[in-house]
Amino acid sequence: MKQERIKYLFKDWRVLTLIILLALSVVAIYPHFDDNGNLTTNLQYGLDLQQGAWLQLEFKAEVVGYTTTQPVDTFVANLSKDLNTDVVQVDSTHLEIRKSYTQAELEPYFESEGGTLVSYQPGISKDTADLVKQILEEKINSMGTKDAKVNTLTGMNNVARYVRVEMAGVDMNEAQQIVGKQGKFEIRIQTTGNETEHVLYGDTITSVAIPTKDTSGNWGVGFTLSDAGAETFRDAAIQYGATTDPAHHQLAMLLDNKTVYSAPLSSNLASSLQTETTRNMVASTGTGTYGQQQATNLEIQLRAGALPVDVSVAGSGSTSASLGSHYMTMCMIAFILALIMVGFVIFYRYREPRIVLPMVLINASEIVILLGFISAIKFQMDLPTIAGLVAVVGTGIDQLVVITDEILHEGIVPSPNVYLKRLSRALTIIVIAAATVLIAMLPLALMDLSTLKGFAIITMMGVIVGVIVTRPAYGKIIMEILSE
Amino acid sequence: MGLFSYNIEKYSPKQLVIIPTVLLAISLVVLAFVTISIGMPVKPGIDFSGGTAVTVITSDTSAQIQNEFAGYPLVSISEGLNNGKFITFGTMSDAQYQSLTALIASKYPDAQVNQIGESFGKTLQDQALIAMILAFIGMAIVVFVSFRTFVPSCAVVLSAFADIVMTAAMMNIVGIQLSLGTTAALLMLIGYSVDSDILLTTRVLKRQGKLNDKLAGAFHTGIIMTSTTLAAVTVLLIVSWIGQVEVVEEISAVLLMGLIFDILNTWLTNVGILKWYVLKGGGK
Repeated sequence: MKQERIKYLFKDWRVLTLIILLALSVVAIYPHFDDNGNLTTNLQYGLDLQQGAWLQLEFKAEVVGYTTTQPVDTFVANLSKDLNTDVVQVDSTHLEIRKSYTQAELEPYFESEGGTLVSYQPGISKDTADLVKQILEEKINSMGTKDAKVNTLTGMNNVARYVRVEMAGVDMNEAQQIVGKQGKFEIRIQTTGNETEHVLYGDTITSVAIPTKDTSGNWGVGFTLSDAGAETFRDAAIQYGATTDPAHHQLAMLLDNKTVYSAPLSSNLASSLQTETTRNMVASTGTGTYGQQQATNLEIQLRAGALPVDVSVAGSGSTSASLGSHYMTMCMIAFILALIMVGFVIFYRYREPRIVLPMVLINASEIVILLGFISAIKFQMDLPTIAGLVAVVGTGIDQLVVITDEILHEGIVPSPNVYLKRLSRALTIIVIAAATVLIAMLPLALMDLSTLKGFAIITMMGVIVGVIVTRPAYGKIIMEILSE
Repeated sequence: MGLFSYNIEKYSPKQLVIIPTVLLAISLVVLAFVTISIGMPVKPGIDFSGGTAVTVITSDTSAQIQNEFAGYPLVSISEGLNNGKFITFGTMSDAQYQSLTALIASKYPDAQVNQIGESFGKTLQDQALIAMILAFIGMAIVVFVSFRTFVPSCAVVLSAFADIVMTAAMMNIVGIQLSLGTTAALLMLIGYSVDSDILLTTRVLKRQGKLNDKLAGAFHTGIIMTSTTLAAVTVLLIVSWIGQVEVVEEISAVLLMGLIFDILNTWLTNVGILKWYVLKGGGK
């Protein structure tokens, strides 16, 4: 090709877009040598390509739609008592019941309290799901596990039924221990100066309420002690003088030996403790958004890593380091061989390096851009995704064949006018074909079929990149080459 | 292309559609039979029915493994090249599962274990079914909107339908189970199998020229399109079979079968209907 032709080609916007995207992708993938001199990239791999374990937990709770003729507060409080669990108002028409009941089991309770149950959905509200995510992340981080991912799978109706925890570098047993482990919660009381004395451990806390605001705008978290716990608490408060001089004998709460809350007894509580034991207590955290934030944090600490709802293991899995790297090697081999094989088929058909070379290169660039995209969104590549990428190689080249054959109709290289007409006709075929793939993958991308969501998004992305960027660029390049 | 010569013009529409019609009928019978006996058109794997799958590379024989796991609900052991073993278990209690993972961890520390609970599997299955139906309807809508003529659009949708049905029937025959991976493959087929049908329909309806020339031209391009994908998928199948990558092996096997049926359905079913439509005076 003559030099000015190449220059001209590089000025075309289609070719330019391709080159810019390619450059961005290489930056996103960022191939480099790590400290040990091994070649690595920014690409992240799923748990079937590296050592790690995953757990999928199902919430033992449900979100129900309701109507009632009673005052809502009374209705919710009564229901909570009847069902022997927390009942939380999600919005004006929905309640979250934090215990597993079937719809048929719930209906009589609603009726007897003067309400009706209008809808039933197993799972928890989005807010609770966010809390669960926060608790799990905090817990996993405190264990020093890196590369952990916690995802609550929220459906289109804003009800989350599952939470998925993925941890790289650990095996199944470790994963189960980390997720199941509770922190050590302790209440201590200030004696003199900075000295404190042990009062209670977390096992005496029987329940923790969700943060609430009192009439003066103060946020706080309520919790209940067992009878024995309440007794011990009262004795300690009296012994160390917290009931007579609360300000100098503050109450401290510690999680894993770290102070998470410290405040004096309220004057009400101090005086009532002198005469009787109290099981229900509220830890105040202040007013405004700050107070609310503190209350939420304290709630998590008080629970000591226990989740607000019971969960059961819905699924789990683990991959060993050796099998993960074996799969990785196989995938690389398959990928490279597939690309070579496709090249051979194309060469067999056209026997013309001037056509075959750009085709294979465009095909390869499509893959590079896709990998760049995968790196940029920090998507974890897994085995189905890789199978999908290989299919993109195969079908991507299909489309280039359509373009080439449409243009080379009857073996004659056309004039630019006819050329453009044919190119647009080829692109019509490609766009329709692309639309069918996009629409076929869309339901999968919107649903929460665990690992398949990512696969669908990557396939759709491959189609979009092909239609918008690489195929028009190929049309331009092949025209320049053929019009020699 | 000299690999095989196929003369579309030689055959009448009736002759063209006879083979796929018979195959489609057989496939539907297979699917109906399987549905009656197990309640689903294709046998579900552990992703959907619940259970545990263990992949391990070991020189132990199947009999030894069977012995090892005698106390657990062992369902199947399949062997591959290079000592790869793929062991599946039915659903079990949490306690039993924990003792199983402990046993696997001590006996085969390099194993890959995946477990799906029964109710979770059911949820996945329902969603997969919905995804499949929506994908098919969506594809049909795109085809109808694109061509805006009834018979040719129907021919494309029917070909895609036949692809999926024949592939699903074949999965039963060769013993590939329905899993998340193979569901993905079937969905991919819905999207990709219409590629060559769209090429064919566009060429025949929107181009000038003699019908037989257009058919031959479309075939010339279409067959190379499918064979590139076929080549890529075949490589994937061979490598994953040798390397014992069960998930990829199943996905690529389903894609391969689907693509072969696609050749059949595009160049017999779709061509047959389209030819009949044009000869009858439809199109330009």
